[in-house]
This record gives sequence, C-alpha cells and structure tokens, in this order.
Amino acid sequence: MPDPLLYFKSMCVAATVSAIVVLAVVGSTRPVSKARLNFACVVGIGFGLLAGENALSMRLVWPPMNGLDRFLTIVIPATLAVELIAGFRSVPDWVARFLRIGLASMIPRILLHGSVYLSGSTKDWTPWELVTLLAVCVALLAGVWSLLSWLSRRSPGASIPLALCLTSLCTSVTMMMAGYIKGGIAGFALVATLMATTIVSMSIMKRAGAPLKLDAPAILGIGVVGLFGLLIIGRFFGRLSTSCALVLLLTPLLCWASETPLLRQRKPWVVGSIRLMRVAIPLVVVLAMAKRDFDRNLGRLLGKVEAPTFRLDRERAH
Amino acid sequence: MRRVFTTLAMTLAIVTAVCAGANSVSAADEYAYDLVHSSITFKARHLDISWIHGRFNEVDGKFSLDRESPSKSKFELSIKTDSVDTANKARDEHLRQPDYFDTKQFPTIDFKSTDVKAIEGGYEVTGDFTMHGKTKKITFVLKGGKEHDFKGTKRVGFSTELSLKRSDFGFDKNAIGPIGDEALIIIDCEGVKK
Repeated sequence: MPDPLLYFKSMCVAATVSAIVVLAVVGSTRPVSKARLNFACVVGIGFGLLAGENALSMRLVWPPMNGLDRFLTIVIPATLAVELIAGFRSVPDWVARFLRIGLASMIPRILLHGSVYLSGSTKDWTPWELVTLLAVCVALLAGVWSLLSWLSRRSPGASIPLALCLTSLCTSVTMMMAGYIKGGIAGFALVATLMATTIVSMSIMKRAGAPLKLDAPAILGIGVVGLFGLLIIGRFFGRLSTSCALVLLLTPLLCWASETPLLRQRKPWVVGSIRLMRVAIPLVVVLAMAKRDFDRNLGRLLGKVEAPTFRLDRERAH
Repeated sequence: MRRVFTTLAMTLAIVTAVCAGANSVSAADEYAYDLVHSSITFKARHLDISWIHGRFNEVDGKFSLDRESPSKSKFELSIKTDSVDTANKARDEHLRQPDYFDTKQFPTIDFKSTDVKAIEGGYEVTGDFTMHGKTKKITFVLKGGKEHDFKGTKRVGFSTELSLKRSDFGFDKNAIGPIGDEALIIIDCEGVKK
C-alpha cells in the first residue's frame, strides 16, 4: 500500500546524504573547479540514491529480475560511472561524448532484456518493429540529452536540473496512479538526490563567489537517464500510455523557450523561473489526466463503492 | 549387387525390430491439456475478512502417465499470466503490472514435475514451480487419474489444491497488504489422449 510518510522520509534521507557528501568532497577548496564539482555531484548522487532506496527497503538485486531491477542495478550505476569518467579534466571531449552515446544506445536494450518484447513471445511486435522501436528509443534519449546539454552550455543554470527533477517527480506520481507503485517510488529518491545536489552545488558556487551559472553535466546526465529509465519501465512494464511517456520525456526541452531573443537577455532568475513555469504547465495537465484515470479505474479498487448493493440488517437477521 | 541387397534388407529388419521393441516397452500414455474442460482458479484473502477469486483463462500443458511405473510419469503445465481474470477489468490490469504478476517480464507460470509417486486415489507429484522468475520445488497430491472413454476419445482427469506464499516468489512485499500473502490455487484438469 502507498505510504506517503515513508516516501517523504526516503526523500529526506536521500537529499541529506547527497548534500553532506557533496559538501564533504568539495571541502573548503576555493575556487571550486568544474571537474571537482562534477566529481562531488556524481559521488553525492550515488550515495544519496543508495540511502534513499535503502530507506524504501529497495535492494540492489543481482541478477536483476525485472525492468526496475535493471534500472537500479545496471543503468544508474553505469550512468554514474560514465559521468564520473567523463568529468575528469584529462578525458577529452570526444571520449566523454563517445561514452555517453554508447550508454544511451544500450539503455533501452538493457531495460527490456528478457521481456516479452525481446523474447519474441508476444505477437504484437515483429523483429523489424522491435529494431525500429529500440532505435526510436535510443534516438529520443540521445536527442533529449544532447539538446539539454547544449542548452546547459549555452545558457547554464540550476533551472535545467530542477526542470528534470519536476518532470521525474511527475513521472513517478503518474506511474503510481497508473498502478505501478514500486516503479513510481523508485523515482522519489532520484528526484530528492538530484534536487539536493543542484541546490548544494549552487550554494557552493555562491560561497566561492563564482557566477551562479551551474553547469554540472553529471546532474544533467543522471537526470535525463533517470527520467528516461522511469518512462521506459512505466510504458513497457506498467500502464503508462505512449503519449503520456512522450510528453513527459520531451517536457524538459521546454527550457529552450527561454532562448528567444526577448527572454535571453533577462536576469538569470527570471530566465530560470520562466523555464520552470513552462515545464510545469504540461506536467500539471499530465497529472490531472492521471488523476482522472486513477479515479475512473483504480479508485474503485480502493474501496470507493458507487452504490450499496445490499444492506445487512443485523437486528432482523435473527 | 546381391550383397548390397542383403545388407539393406538386414538393416531394414533390424530397424523395424528396434522400433517395434521400443513401442512395446513404452507403457506411458500421452495426454494433452484440455482447456475446455479444465480450470485453474485461485483465491486470496482480502483485508483478511473475505476472499477474492480469480482464474487463468489460457493454460497449456501435457502429461504422460505410466501406470505400471508411476515414477516415469510426467506433468507439465504453463499458465499465461496475461490471462488473469478476476471479473473486474481494472483489477486484472492492475494484477498484470510489475507490482503483481509483471506479465511483460514473466509471461508464464510454469510447472514441471521431477518426481511422481503413486498413492491411494492419485499421485504425489514433486516438481519445479516457476513464478515471477523464481523457481521453487513444491509437492502436492494430485487426485484422480481414472481414464474414461467418451465417444472414442480417452480422457483422464485430475484435481488438486495447493497453497503458495507470494512472498516466496519475489512479489513486492509492499503490495502484500490488503491482498494476503497466501494464495490458494485450485487446479481441475482433463487430459485428452494423443
């Protein structure tokens, strides 16, 4: 049964651990280099996720049995490893790009491993359709990741990772309302740890007197992969509709709206607020639709009886 | 030329004798699962005050019965998890999701016998039961086994009840709340002789 208090507790644990680890790794170094901050973010997100999932009693399972296990045991650690390597100053840009593209091309295949989609036990998918499906998934992930990275380099700011957090939170809640509770709650720790890492990174930069333009590729990469992973398991194993999954995946791209000539020269906090507001609009619509579907379908299973069909009269029963 | 013909004839004779011998020593009768006259139903506690009933509509299986040497008998059953039916569409959809049967990852529930013993009124069957990606050895009593000839088709029927804990098969413990951990599975099946 859903336990909101437990979810809140796990989010607090994940956020606290992430914040402490990031602060501990950065230490009192001034000025903070981009590579060091990126390293601190990867380590902070990793420990935060472990703590958050542990608070939710979600263990890393080996061998992973289902899509969620593969997401938590293979995809997230692989992304952390790629971002860790890519963040080192000595690693050339082309190597980092190659690693990220390699990871993006493998994620859909990993998540769908052993399922009816790949084993051929479903008549719904021909091999050709399956190849197309995997290619489209890879293209979508690579496309969203590239566009957000480009935006982050062009106009850096905390609003991009925060938009990813908002979208991931909305995805988690939507998945839960569609009936996949465990898949939904897996996203809560991810959201909390990404949010805490972003806020702490911003505060570190402010303390160091650096301009408040956060450009931490690790937060962005893990955020995009986390969102994509949640959507894949929600769509292919849960009951998340294709249109809903697509809207949620593409929503963070609305941050690009701030790049119009009219808005681009505004103050950073104005640009950030506009980005978050633009992202929030479709998310509210998705949540409203998910709530409507929940009331229509699953709400009845939770005890909402429409009309009494019989009445037990205890006095007359004798 | 004569030698070639002699060799061919002898080979043919040996092969025929071997085949005939093989047929005569095999006493096992093969049966196919008859979906029309069989049912696999289950029930689980709801809030610990009542029972929820359901069934699986798509099942495949076969069994071979060796009445002279029962240990050589074999039972196999494969249940399509997607066919779960509790007379409520929304609940069925929920049960297909990863918190319960995870039908896209685990499309079937399988049973394959490893040991069969004849007992009074039926058989004691031990085998590997695979559900939700986990395999466990289970033993149950299969009642029946009488053969009936109906309009030239030989049929045999069995029935059994077994109790399983969902938590033993990797089901999400958080989903074990309003619906009880223990599920009672009732199998009544008929086999048609091949």
